[in-house]
Amino acid sequence: MSVAPSRRFGRGLVTATLLLAVGFLMVPVVLTFVGSFAGEWSGVLPSEFITLQNWREVLGLAETIGSQRSMGWNAILSVGGYTLAVPSELIFSVALALGGVFINLVVGVPIAYAVARYDFRGDEWVNAISVLPLVPGVILGVAFLRAYPDLAGTSFGLIVGYSLLKAPFMVMAVRSEFESMPLQRLEESARSLGASWPRTFLTVIVPNARSGIVSGAIICWTLAAAEFNFSYIVWAKGTQPLALFLQRHISNSSFTKAAAAVSMFFCIIVVITVLLQQVGSRGFDTRG
Amino acid sequence: MATLGEHSERAGSRLRAAVHLASTAVGSIVDPVTERDRTRRRIVALCAPFATLLAVAGAYPLVEVVRISVSAEQYRSVGFALEAYGTLVTDPYYRGVAFNSLWLAGGTTLASVGVAVPIAHALEKYDLPGEDVLVTLVSFPISLPGIVAAFMILVLLGNNGLVTNLAALLTGRPATDLAIAVSAPGLFVAFCYSMIPRATLILRGTYAELDHAAEEAAQSLGATPWRTFRYVTLPQIRPGITGAVILTFRTGLAIFGTLIVIQTVVVWTLQISRELATGYDIQVAGAMATAYFLFTFAFTALGLRYTDAEVGL
Repeated sequence: MSVAPSRRFGRGLVTATLLLAVGFLMVPVVLTFVGSFAGEWSGVLPSEFITLQNWREVLGLAETIGSQRSMGWNAILSVGGYTLAVPSELIFSVALALGGVFINLVVGVPIAYAVARYDFRGDEWVNAISVLPLVPGVILGVAFLRAYPDLAGTSFGLIVGYSLLKAPFMVMAVRSEFESMPLQRLEESARSLGASWPRTFLTVIVPNARSGIVSGAIICWTLAAAEFNFSYIVWAKGTQPLALFLQRHISNSSFTKAAAAVSMFFCIIVVITVLLQQVGSRGFDTRG
Repeated sequence: MATLGEHSERAGSRLRAAVHLASTAVGSIVDPVTERDRTRRRIVALCAPFATLLAVAGAYPLVEVVRISVSAEQYRSVGFALEAYGTLVTDPYYRGVAFNSLWLAGGTTLASVGVAVPIAHALEKYDLPGEDVLVTLVSFPISLPGIVAAFMILVLLGNNGLVTNLAALLTGRPATDLAIAVSAPGLFVAFCYSMIPRATLILRGTYAELDHAAEEAAQSLGATPWRTFRYVTLPQIRPGITGAVILTFRTGLAIFGTLIVIQTVVVWTLQISRELATGYDIQVAGAMATAYFLFTFAFTALGLRYTDAEVGL
């Protein structure tokens, strides 16, 4: 009796597709990271290991000129002759993305609660509007330039734009967390113990949903820090957001130096993700 | 004259009734009496911050874009003219750009969803060693912007690329002849790099809701794995696949950063940025933005309404 081909090969083929896809997605990431420590990359694989020159130049620790100019450094603290300085592009983007996350929390958590907790006329529409991205970054950029010509390119304009672009991810993360909670029971017990409704929402409901809120914040932060399309259209002058800094290196710098810039970005994503996960598992705990 | 007075009186009373209705509605929210009113006030309060952001950062700027795109003057919103739209419709260049956008986004959507189905299948149905790690690795590129996706493709398929150089070693031809990163196929692969992880995320959600009992029944009745997939699994995940196609297609149309690095095919988003960069033609850029918005809105609304699409995240 012959065995059906799908029984013999099916599972192997599907698994192979998965592994090939993981390879396709991950090999260039690993290669970029390794290549960022190389002095030369013109053959199949990078060579002349190990040098930190690329990283030093990208981080602005070594002299650079022209379009390959690296990060500036801002002094933030000066104590007894020692100055604590930070790479300005990096800090700028970290702060912009945090600002965006803050707005996302303020607008995203309440609407997620409204959709998850209440049945009302038009709730499907509210849901659809809050989880579908309204417009992509390029279109929003054009709209901002037109509507707020003076504000669009400023930090405030960037923060507001990021928050609108990334709000759906916050709503989705928080809503799915709310949906897994017994909201009505929680609300009713708190109310019956004498808490007002705003107090119930802020001190009972929100802390209980913290894992969803933190994961929403992580997603929104990484997406806002990496936002390129909107920034490219509206940004005019001053410190560059990180994504524009990356683009400048990818388009103008040597391959190894661009690899260092991109690797730096990988590191930031990994560090922030781990950091926020720590906050999620411990930081909000009020019981000490 | 009498009829006119009567008309205006009737209109006046209708207006008064409407104002009264509106003021009671507002009153019940500002100063609620019943529990139902209070609930309504809570819903309004919960939705208000999002609505404010949407109005200030979304709706108002978009209205301004629409106004400038139909303006009779170039830099001020006055009058009404459809010149910018006329340019878009009659100029064959813009038709070509629109066509580029549609085939590139459409083709990469089909390819990405096609690859994402087996990926999601393997991740959700097989007990693979290190499954958590695989999920993390497949999801990681979601947070990479398009410019980085483009760089990843340069690393693989560029002049210095790994695949290019391996192919050069095997065939003996110079690497520069084999590099396809900066070409339409290279761009196609770069789009897929961004879209496969997103499609996988959506389809994993679909697979998580599958009814395993039906599959086991089919298997125990002697159906081959292929027939089980074709007649039991696929009908269940079809709404999820349709939903993934709609969302991934939207993603594909919105891609921009990748094109800044690999500028070989001019698509709609890239052309919008070029309108602004060369001569700041805000009218044509506005018309293109409006057309884009209307198209994606209609496409999504019709897609979700008239297909069995389910978007579960």
